[in-house]
Amino acid sequence: MKRTLLHLFLAAWLLPLAVFAADPAFNGRWRLDTERSTALDGWSTLDLVITVDGPKVTLFHDLTWHATKVTATNVVDTAQATTAKDFFRLDQRHMAVYARPGEETPVTAGWLDAGRTLRVEAQVPLETSQGNTTMRLYQEYRLIEGDNELVLIELHNTRSRPLVYLFTRVPAEAAKK
Amino acid sequence: MKKLLSILILAAVAALPLRASVAAPARESYVMHFDSDWKIVSGLPEKAMLIGLQGLANRTAPRLYIVHAADFPWEITGPLKDFYERKHGVHFTELKTADEALAHLAQYAKGYIVWDPAVMPTMNVAYTIAGLEDGIIVTPALIPLAERHGLKLIDDLRGRYDDKTDAQIYTDAKARYWARCSHDKLMLLGGHRGDIRIPGIADWGVREKMFFHDLSANPIHADELALEKQFFSELNPGGTIFGWHVYGKDTEEQHTTLISTYGLKMEGLQSLPNLSYNCQFTFTPGFKFTNNHNVARDAKLTAQGKVYISFVQSDGIGIGVWTKPGRGRIPLAWGAIMGWVKFSPAALEYFHESATPMDYFIGGLSGPSYMYPNHIPANRFGLLMKEANDLMAALDERIFEIMDNSAADGNVGNADLTKETVDRYYAAFPNVMGFINGYGPARTRDLRDSRPLISYDYYIDPRRPREEVTADMNELIALNPKRPYFLLVHVRESNDVNSLVGVIKQLQGPVEVVPLDVFMKYAADKKTYTTRYQLPTDPKHFKGY
Repeated sequence: MKRTLLHLFLAAWLLPLAVFAADPAFNGRWRLDTERSTALDGWSTLDLVITVDGPKVTLFHDLTWHATKVTATNVVDTAQATTAKDFFRLDQRHMAVYARPGEETPVTAGWLDAGRTLRVEAQVPLETSQGNTTMRLYQEYRLIEGDNELVLIELHNTRSRPLVYLFTRVPAEAAKK
Repeated sequence: MKKLLSILILAAVAALPLRASVAAPARESYVMHFDSDWKIVSGLPEKAMLIGLQGLANRTAPRLYIVHAADFPWEITGPLKDFYERKHGVHFTELKTADEALAHLAQYAKGYIVWDPAVMPTMNVAYTIAGLEDGIIVTPALIPLAERHGLKLIDDLRGRYDDKTDAQIYTDAKARYWARCSHDKLMLLGGHRGDIRIPGIADWGVREKMFFHDLSANPIHADELALEKQFFSELNPGGTIFGWHVYGKDTEEQHTTLISTYGLKMEGLQSLPNLSYNCQFTFTPGFKFTNNHNVARDAKLTAQGKVYISFVQSDGIGIGVWTKPGRGRIPLAWGAIMGWVKFSPAALEYFHESATPMDYFIGGLSGPSYMYPNHIPANRFGLLMKEANDLMAALDERIFEIMDNSAADGNVGNADLTKETVDRYYAAFPNVMGFINGYGPARTRDLRDSRPLISYDYYIDPRRPREEVTADMNELIALNPKRPYFLLVHVRESNDVNSLVGVIKQLQGPVEVVPLDVFMKYAADKKTYTTRYQLPTDPKHFKGY
C-alpha cells in the first residue's frame, strides 16, 4: 500500500515536470539575423539571451541603435499565469505605438512540442494617438533542428501579418566577449 | 521705334505657348556637368577647385552653373537648368574641362591657395581664405594648372597644420580670418567622412565670404564644441549656419540643438549646389505663388466615420520624391524650403510651376529654416517666427510644420514639444490653419480655436518592404478604433509615390486619403485624438547643452 502511494505521489510530482520540461538547447545567447527577419526598425542589433530555470524563463534583450545600448528583461513562468511590470515588446520605431511605463501586463507561458517551443501570450498596455489601448500578443520561440537557430514568430490581435525573427546561436566563447 | 519693335517681339513671343513666360533678354552663362566621383584621391580636388571658382565667378553676376550626375542628392540641377533657359532666357555654353573653366573664368580669381588632402581641414581653411582673398583652392597636383592660367600663390597650407587637432586648426584659422568673414553666415562644411567629400555648397560660402569649418557639436569633443560655441555667440542675431554636420563625428540632432540654442538658423545640406548662381535670379515678372488650396481658410468640414490619411514629404524638396515617377497620383504635402525665397527663388518657382494639382506646399521647418523649437531662446522666438510668417505669406502657405528631434533616438527618446513651445506657436502663428509635428512619429497633439496640432502617427522608411508598411498602417488603424481616425504619415524623401499607391490599395477599413488642408479641417471637427505634450518623464536621449 505504501509503495503504491509512493508511486502515485512520484507520478503526480513528475508528470508536470515532463509536461513542462524545456529543451536545454534554449539556453544561451541568440543573435538576430536581420537579413532573414522581418525588418526591425529603430533597432540596429538584437541579441536574445535565454535562461531556463525550472518553470521560469528569462528572456534578456540586448539591443543597440547606433551608439545607444538598451537592455530589457522579461521573465515568464510556464507553470502559472503572472503579471509583469514594463513587459518588453519589440516595438517599431516608425509607428506611434508606445509602451505605458510602470504598468502591469498579464502574461502566460508554456512549453509545446516536447519542450522545443516556448509559447508566450501577453496583454500589453499601450498608448496610441487616441489614448490607451491593449494589444494581445502571441509569441512562439521555436528551436530549429540542429539547435543552432531559433525562430520567434509573433502575432498581434491587431495585425494580420506575423512578425518573424530568426536568431542564430552565439557560441559560448564569443558570447562571453 | 525700337521700343515699338521690342513690344511687337515680346507680343509675338507671348503668343508662343512654350515660350510665353520668357521674361528677360537672353543672358549668357557657362555650365559644367559633374560626374559622381567625389573621392579625395581622385575626383574631389578638381571639383573643389571648380566649386570655389564658381563662387568667385558668380560674385557679381550668374556666370557658372553646375549640373550634377543623376545620382547626386539634389536631383533638380538638370530640370532647373532647363527652367533658367526657358523662363529666364539663359543661354548656356558648356565648359567641358577644368582647363576650359579656368580659361574663361580665372579672371575672377586673384590667385590660388594650396590645401593638403592628407589634412582635410585645410580644404575648409583654404575655402575661407578663397572667399577673403579671391582665390581658388588647389591641391599640389593642380598648382601647374592654376599657374598656366596666370594665377599666383596666395597661401600654401601644407605643413602648417600637420599633427594638429581640428580644434587647434580652426582656433588658428579663427585668429587669422574670422574678423574679416561674414558674421551673418557661417559655413559648416561637414557631411561625409572617410574617402569622399561633397562640398557642393562651397560656392555660396566663397561668394559670401564665410568662415568654413567642420567642428563637432558632440560633447565628447569638448574643445571643438567650445570653439563652435564661440563662433555661434559671435554671429549676428538671426544668423544662418549653412551646410551640414559631419557624419560620424556628431549627430544631426546634436548640431541642430546647438544651433537652435543660440537662436540661429540651419540651411542644409553641405551638398546643396549652385546657390551662388541661384541667388541672383528673382521670380519671373508677374509670378506669384498660388498654392493648391483644397478648402477655404475659414471653412468648416464635417468629418465622417472614416480613417483619414494624409501624406507629407518634408526632407528638403528637391531631393528625392519630386523628380520620381508617380507624383500627382495621390495628394501629397511638401515642405518647401522657405529660406530659398532669399537664396534660391528660381528653384521655388520651378517647384511651383511643376506642381500638380495634388501637390500642396506647407511652411517649416519649425521656423524660417530648420530649428528645434524646444531649445530656441524665448527672446528669439518671436522674431524668428515673424520671419517664418512672412515667408509663409509670400509662399501662400497655411499649414506649418514643426520638428524637434533633440531628444529623439530610434525607439528611445521622443520627438515631442513642451506645452510652453506649443503655446508659443499658437501665439506666433494666428493665421495658420494648423500645425503638424515630428519626423518619425510623435505624440504632441492639440486643438485650439479650430486649429489642430497633429503629430505623425507613421513614418515610411524607404527601405521598409511595402508589405510591412501596409501591415503597419493597418495595425495603426486597428489600434485606433474610434472613427474618424486621423493618420498623418511622413514620407521619407527617397520613397516613390507609385509604391504608396500600392500600399493604399491594401489598407483595410473605410480609408480616405485627403490633402493635408482637408485633413486639418476634419481633425478640427471631431477630436478623437488626445491632447498631449512632452512630459518631464518622457525619455530623453540627449538633454541639450
